[in-house]
Amino acid sequence: MTEVERHSYDVVVIGAGGAGLRAVIEARQRGLSVAVVCKSLFGKAHTVMAEGGCAASMGNSNPNDNWQVHFRDTMRGGKFLNNWRMAELHAKEAPERVWELETYGALFDRTADGRISQRNFGGHTYPRLAHVGDRTGLELIRTMQQKIVSLQQEDYAEHGDYEAKIKVFAECTITELLKDGNAIAGAFGYWRESGRFILFETPAVVLATGGIGKSFKVTSNSWEYTGDGHALALRAGAKLINMEFVQFHPTGMVWPPSVKGILVTEGVRGDGGVLKNAEGKRFMFDYIPEVFKDQYADNEEEADRWYDNPDGNRRTPDLLPRDEVARAINSEVKAGRGSPHGGVFLDIASRLPKEEIKKRLPSMHHQFKELADVDITGEPMEVGPTCHYVMGGIEVDPDTASSDVAGLFAAGECAGGMHGSNRLGGNSLSDLLVFGRRAGLGAANYVIELASWPSVAPSDVDTAAAEAVECFEPKEGNENPYTVHAELQDSMNGLVGIIRKAEEMRAAAAKVEEFKQRAKQATVEGHRQFNPGWHLALDLRNMLLVSECVAKAALLREESRGGHTRDDHPGMVADWRNKLLVCAIDGDGVRVTEQEQPPMRQDLLELFELGELEKYYTSGELTEHPERKESI
Amino acid sequence: MSTAVSDNDTSSGPQQAGPKPPPVPEGSRTVTLKIQRFNPEFDEEPRWESYDVPALSTDRLLNLLHYVKWYLDGTLAFRRSCAHGVCGSDAMQINGVNRLACKVLMKDMLAPQGKPTVITIAPIKGLPVQKDLYVDMEPFFEAFKAIKPYLITYGNEPSKERIQSPADRERFDDTTKCILCACCTTSCPVYWADGSYFGPAAIVNAHRFIFDSRDQGAEERLDILNDAEGVWRCRTTFNCTDACPRGIQVTKAIQEVKRALLFKRV
Repeated sequence: MTEVERHSYDVVVIGAGGAGLRAVIEARQRGLSVAVVCKSLFGKAHTVMAEGGCAASMGNSNPNDNWQVHFRDTMRGGKFLNNWRMAELHAKEAPERVWELETYGALFDRTADGRISQRNFGGHTYPRLAHVGDRTGLELIRTMQQKIVSLQQEDYAEHGDYEAKIKVFAECTITELLKDGNAIAGAFGYWRESGRFILFETPAVVLATGGIGKSFKVTSNSWEYTGDGHALALRAGAKLINMEFVQFHPTGMVWPPSVKGILVTEGVRGDGGVLKNAEGKRFMFDYIPEVFKDQYADNEEEADRWYDNPDGNRRTPDLLPRDEVARAINSEVKAGRGSPHGGVFLDIASRLPKEEIKKRLPSMHHQFKELADVDITGEPMEVGPTCHYVMGGIEVDPDTASSDVAGLFAAGECAGGMHGSNRLGGNSLSDLLVFGRRAGLGAANYVIELASWPSVAPSDVDTAAAEAVECFEPKEGNENPYTVHAELQDSMNGLVGIIRKAEEMRAAAAKVEEFKQRAKQATVEGHRQFNPGWHLALDLRNMLLVSECVAKAALLREESRGGHTRDDHPGMVADWRNKLLVCAIDGDGVRVTEQEQPPMRQDLLELFELGELEKYYTSGELTEHPERKESI
Repeated sequence: MSTAVSDNDTSSGPQQAGPKPPPVPEGSRTVTLKIQRFNPEFDEEPRWESYDVPALSTDRLLNLLHYVKWYLDGTLAFRRSCAHGVCGSDAMQINGVNRLACKVLMKDMLAPQGKPTVITIAPIKGLPVQKDLYVDMEPFFEAFKAIKPYLITYGNEPSKERIQSPADRERFDDTTKCILCACCTTSCPVYWADGSYFGPAAIVNAHRFIFDSRDQGAEERLDILNDAEGVWRCRTTFNCTDACPRGIQVTKAIQEVKRALLFKRV
């Protein structure tokens, strides 16, 4: 039998980003014992890189804001493919979650009268993003880390043990979820430092592992984003939805090469920055899609007036949803009107005083000065699209965050549905808080009601251990996992990137198949102790599975919508709006099937005017709309 | 283990792993990275290993470390995450100074044309080395936790946000920028000599709450920092301020905490 360190917890949270930490806090508040397992050091999760802010309709900057407006914006941003119940819960609960974070001690920029200040962002009707300069994600993580420290000190006072209720397992990777029948029974993994195996016996696992960006070459994502939660869920029998929708953030750094892909916050545009092509033209006015014509200004004068008088003018198209802006930049570069290094210009220097730029966007000022030797208070930035976020993820019940595997919950980027085909900026930090809490609560309720705990079969532990060390066996192919990874990134970027075609996606799927075979030949040198090559070989397995989902689902969806743009099917097709593509494990590959979404609840549907819905829905879907009934 | 080599003239090095030779970007120069290695399975003492790596002036040191790991020696262990100075994972001693590898630009490191560039890289000092550039961060985080790094308030929680004026919020802005990378604490000679000293990072994080207008726990924290291992150990050498990759005025923050203590005592 495998030598393994054993632990037992009521709930195990995998991932220590925003969603994971909020789930930990919630489960602990319900009196349960919680383990939180993360690949990095505690407090270094990818959430720290979120810059712009957290969307919540608190109405501090514009009292007209409310959850209904936020809900409508979110549905529009996702082109009405969102799970409407998730969008509803998100819009309703986000303000409470932000206020709660403030009571935990989070720092926020303030309005003149001392309330939380809110900033403009793409796709949001009103200034809605609570923020701290351009380091909101860092503050969010730090605040929850601090909250956990305070809870641990409370637990010490009560139980004499800091880790009586919450224990952090940092630099620890989970490689497999273990089940008893169809219920979660445990999680198997290894300490990155020692390579020693670790087993968590637990009836409830919350996946909060983030995204999949490391499967793409140009990305704003950090090394952790290898689709671990997506792949763990698939292998455990859960389903993924919306995997064809990958968000390319319009503004990543494009130069120098060593920093290509690093994020330039949308806050630059929220605070007045504008996109220009090589001719100095503000080109976004040429790219306002039909569905957004009523809300976005078609001339510079109106767009500029909007910053000071948002109620009397339409907003600037520089702040269209991200998918629209990314495509526009792509088209400008393709048409030969790009910047010297293959992007476009983002100009804040001519729009705000130097001191104001440094005050509002200190990290951006710093980042460009240090990494690109560009002073953004004096010259424009060069920017271009970078793989940023995956809308697709684990299919969950909106209210409890439960997948269809008993005891398996998911929240944050690794869960699917909330953002539909395209996420609005600012909606991910609020997503983390709202659904992180709900997942913690869902898991707690599940455990509390459980009559008896499922048990881990020793043979499953042996199998998981054998699979984890398989790559140490010498093989004929002697593949270097780093090489396979680099080639996978090239293929995904080039063949299933921002603009897609059937033949390229077929080629990508074939490539992924080839990489899967080659990855089986990957041989790792050395021992299990702190062996980065081994860690990558294991992560690669997950990236390949997730890449297969993306390529296969993208090929099937024959339309363009949100984060899925097809050269061969350029239009949005109403018949596709309600269809989800669902990925499930099939042998050592993935099977994709179509599934219909439940229709939107009537009172939510009525929040939209019929004229707007008709741009997205089939006529048959709208027969119950009151405006339609009136006209009959 | 022999020294791995790759230069602009030959397309393959003797240590290449995998079927393809390591790529050499056009216009690159060869830089020697002299890295302190330590594997607790085999090594009694740390040893030095040198790697010749192609470098562009626009590269960051982190890119070169990745090059070693990806193409020359897959066993090289170091922490990194966000790769642009926000997460604070890749603190290391670079030519004797604590820096984040992702924020060191090669253009600032290259020797004048014709002269060889050698960059020495060692783990940050004062924390136990686990492997290569990995150190055990636990003592560092213990000191952070000891100063109660969370908002302390009494009375009922408000249903919305607490009111804080922009000026009050500005008061402690500088110390909220901390990313807990440990560059400051592990550059402090007092901390090297005695690891029981809280160290600059913990004091910076105490400052963040002591000067937060919403917080009511200043006295508890000041008591902790008035301890023998607290702020009075600081000898104002300014190493911490120089080392901070976020530009936090660390020494100034420590002085402000000292003043707060003196003021309360008066």
